[in-house]
Parts: sequence; structure tokens; C-alpha cells
Amino acid sequence: MPMKGRFPVRRTLQYLSQGDVIFKSAVKVMTVNYNTAGERSEGARKFVFFNIPQIQYKNPWVQIMLFRNMTPSPFVRFYLDNGEQVLVDVEDKTNKEITEHIRKILGKTKGTLEKEEKERKKLSHPATFGPKKYHLRECMCEIEGQVPCPSVVPLPKEMRGKYKAAFKKEA
Amino acid sequence: YVTSGPAAMLRALRRCRPGPALGAALSPAARPGPGPEPLPGPFPAWGPRLVPARGRKTRNDPPAKSKASRLKLPPPVDPEELLVVTERYRLHRLVLSALRAEFRAEVLQKKREAQLSREDSVELSEEHRRLMAWNDAENARQRARREERLRKEEEEEKRQKLHAAEQGARRLEAFLKEKEKEVLQLQEEAKTFITPENLDARIEECLDNPRNYNFAIDKDGRVVKRTVLS
Repeated sequence: MPMKGRFPVRRTLQYLSQGDVIFKSAVKVMTVNYNTAGERSEGARKFVFFNIPQIQYKNPWVQIMLFRNMTPSPFVRFYLDNGEQVLVDVEDKTNKEITEHIRKILGKTKGTLEKEEKERKKLSHPATFGPKKYHLRECMCEIEGQVPCPSVVPLPKEMRGKYKAAFKKEA
Repeated sequence: YVTSGPAAMLRALRRCRPGPALGAALSPAARPGPGPEPLPGPFPAWGPRLVPARGRKTRNDPPAKSKASRLKLPPPVDPEELLVVTERYRLHRLVLSALRAEFRAEVLQKKREAQLSREDSVELSEEHRRLMAWNDAENARQRARREERLRKEEEEEKRQKLHAAEQGARRLEAFLKEKEKEVLQLQEEAKTFITPENLDARIEECLDNPRNYNFAIDKDGRVVKRTVLS
């Protein structure tokens, strides 16, 4: 299958999951105004090209809109759910600086993320087994230290029903 | 809606076959005969062509001749037992669903509390304000930088224009000077021009002073040899 686009690495899951900007739940819309030519919008262009897929992957419920060639100088605007609008001037900034700035003002901190992760882990018990959707393992035979699956390793004679029945019949 | 009390249920059950407990008591005692009577009590008044058979036959095929006298009855039910069992199930299910609802409400309440305490807290809004202030400061810094740059660019532009104007003026001046020099030179030369008035005089002059152009020159431009004018 041929690779699509100029930088197909942007489409890989590994690249997308490396994005570390996760917005707070208050952020609903992100708007980027930039120009397709001119060296002052260079950072904004790179940001749109490289970093916005990562951001959208990590924040699927945030609407991101891009406006081209409507502004003399590039900027990013966030619309929060309480009606507040946050303006970020990104002229003469590299795309790394832009992501850092955004992460600082509207991204969840590492501490918050870890806390959320812990809460999520608390909901499910890792020792239970059942359907793959809700548990880590499906059968007792998958747990280390337990009797292996009889489809892979035959059970010893003493544990098998037919031998136990025969034994009982004998006795 | 149907009133489903025990009395209504008994009325409905009377149409069914009596259960094993009551059936033995009601029927004539010591009945060693094999099998029940062919028509024990009321039965649905369908004809011999009962409900069509499933499986190989479609719904339009008639049932087999051997099934002509078949009479299908609902399974035997002991009314008392049924009543008791249904009542017990009802209570059990009532209790269970109440418990489930209780637990569900508790979990929801906890979640809502956690959410509220998470979002509404003072320190979060404080943090947000601080970050917004920092963002504004950044924007102000950027604005200052931009204005500085614009100012510099304007100055540069002005300087360039001035420079260009100066150069243009200089060029014009030089050009004019050149032309002036040429004009003066021409004026000077005009004094030695041959006009119809002094034509004769000049001819006489030339004839009186013969000039010898017959000379050799070396690489440095010095005259080396000269022929003698005859």
C-alpha cells in the first residue's frame, strides 16, 4: 500500500500518540488563523502541519478550525465553555514554542493526568477475568501460576473426568 | 390495566388441568386405569384441524391424520403452589431491583460530587486566572517585539528612500555637469571653426604653413624619425 502525503509519518499511530497536549475539559473550540506564505507565519504553518494531528488525536471532542490568508499576523484562539475566548499570538514563534505555550496555558498538567489515570485504574480490578472488553484475561488458564489451558497442555490423568469416573467404578 | 390479584389468577387457572397434587385428590380415588381421560374438563373448542405442525410442513399444510384426535392442553398447574411461588418471586424481585436502584443512585451521587469538587474548586479557577494573565503578558511581549520590528522596518525603509533620492540627485547633477562641460568645450572649439568669412584667410594660412605628418613613433609614443619636408 503506497504512503500518502508528504510526511506519511504524521499518519502513524505512534506519532499521533506522542502528542502531549491534552486540553482541559473547558476547552471546546480551537481556531488557527495563519497565512500560507510569508516567513512570519512559518511557525504557525509548521504547527498546523505537524502538531495539530497530534492534538486532535488526543482531544477528539475539541473542534479545530483553520483559517488561511485572512489575517496580517497569525494567531490561535480558544473558545472555552464559559464563553471566554483566549487569544494567543504566534507570530515569529517556532511550532515547538507554540505547542509549549498552549500546553502551559490550557493543557492538563502531568499531575492531573496521573491522577485521572489512577482513578480509571481503580474502577477495574486487574485480578478478575472475563470478556476481553472489561478484563485483562479471559480465562483462568491465562493467569500465570494456574493450570494451563487443556487445549494446549493435556491435563494429568487424575484431573480428567473420564479417569475419575472409571476409578470410582473400579472402586 | 388488568387486575392481577390472586382471585383473578384462580379464575384463569380453573380452565387449566388440575396440578398433580389436586388432580389426584379430585379425580375418583383408586383409579388404577392407565393414562388420563381423553377429555378431562373444558378444552379449547378448535376443530380437528388444529394449529399446523412446524418443521417439514408449511403453515398451509394440514396436520397428519394420526393427530386428528390430538388435544393439546396447557401444562398442569397447581394453583396454590403457583400463587405461593409467584408471590415469593415478586417479593424477591422487588427487593433486588430496589437494592440495584439504591446502589446505582449512590454511585451516581458519588460521581457527581467528585466532578463538582473537581471543577468548582477555588484553586483551579485561581490557576486558570494566573495562566490567562501569563498568556496576556506573553501577548504583550510579542506585541512589543512586533511594534519594535515594524518601527525598525519603517526606519529602514525611510533611510533607503532617502539614500535613493540622494543618489538620484547626485546622478542628475553629474549628468548636468557633463553636459555643461561639453557645451563649454564646444563653445571653445567654435572659436576655431572655419566660417565663410575667414575661409580665405585660413586657406592662406594653411598654404603658408605646411605640416609634415610623416613621422615614425615608438611604443612609448615618442617620435623617432621624421622625414624632411620638401
